[in-house]
Amino acid sequence: MVNPLQGKVALITGSGRGIGKATALRLASDGCDIVVNFFRRRDAAEQTAEEIRALGVRAEVVKANVGDPAKIEEMFQFVGEKFGYLDIFISNAASGVGRPVFDIDAKAWDWTMNINARALLLGAQQARPLMTGRGGKIVSISSLGSQFVWPTYTAVGVSKAALEALTRYLSIEMIPDGVSVNAVSASAVNTEALQFYIKEGYVKDMNATTPVGRMVTPEDVAEAVAFLCSEQAYMIRGQTIIVDGGTSVSLYPPVIEKGEA
Amino acid sequence: MTVEEEVKQIVSRIVHVEESTITREGTFKEMKADSLDIVQALVAVEEKYDIEIPDEEAQKFTNFGDFVDFVVAETAKKG
Repeated sequence: MVNPLQGKVALITGSGRGIGKATALRLASDGCDIVVNFFRRRDAAEQTAEEIRALGVRAEVVKANVGDPAKIEEMFQFVGEKFGYLDIFISNAASGVGRPVFDIDAKAWDWTMNINARALLLGAQQARPLMTGRGGKIVSISSLGSQFVWPTYTAVGVSKAALEALTRYLSIEMIPDGVSVNAVSASAVNTEALQFYIKEGYVKDMNATTPVGRMVTPEDVAEAVAFLCSEQAYMIRGQTIIVDGGTSVSLYPPVIEKGEA
Repeated sequence: MTVEEEVKQIVSRIVHVEESTITREGTFKEMKADSLDIVQALVAVEEKYDIEIPDEEAQKFTNFGDFVDFVVAETAKKG
């Protein structure tokens, strides 16, 4: 079977680790060339790039703090110089300050909002000229914290709500460019980022409280992203697809009989 | 101004501590810097000298002196 994404190029922010890495590998397995972006961990990004190349596609690595408008511009310039075009932009990189509401200062708020929400706005603006006329896809990665309350998750949760709203606006305004824009939202995903919340005691055994009987993995999220990047998802626009094993529709998950783990 | 003095100035501005209280033996913890302060200080120093201080290296710093020594070594590499 012909690889559906052969000859296409995807930029995935924050793809050295976690959901970004799983998404990069998933799209690469469909034949897509990948630009791996990282901020603080070059070793992880280089490792991801190696794994992508082992799948027989091209991988480039670019450092950029997506909280910094100038760095976002440089990152897209890099994509333009290396490939000349872009088909898929996954706005995945996230950061955040885990504090109760009354401990969030302006610096922590701005840091979180700029990396998690503004980066999609500025990224889409930069991606547009590289994507126009190519049937491009943009997918942002959100979390259930945009709708539900978790301890100390305020800044991130609010930034994800902004991200989802922005996804809806972009989806309409980018129709003339032939670009589809959607979001994938996940509950707690088994990544390094989650380890922080476990260490702090805010998250316990999510396997027990997820209705299907196991936690969401980065690969589960990557599958949803890959679908939204396919032509089969053409009519899905501005949506936030939730990948949570039933968590968000279940008020009392522990009493529900578990599916297969 | 030496690299050490410049780095001290950056850390002082971001962490909100007096420059005179930052010593080579001092730590970010003693300065009451949180993880956001530390990342922002690292990024500011990276941009000042156009160098890279990956987290895997930064995690090895035991005090401010280690941080400065790393920056000095990286800037020297650049010539």
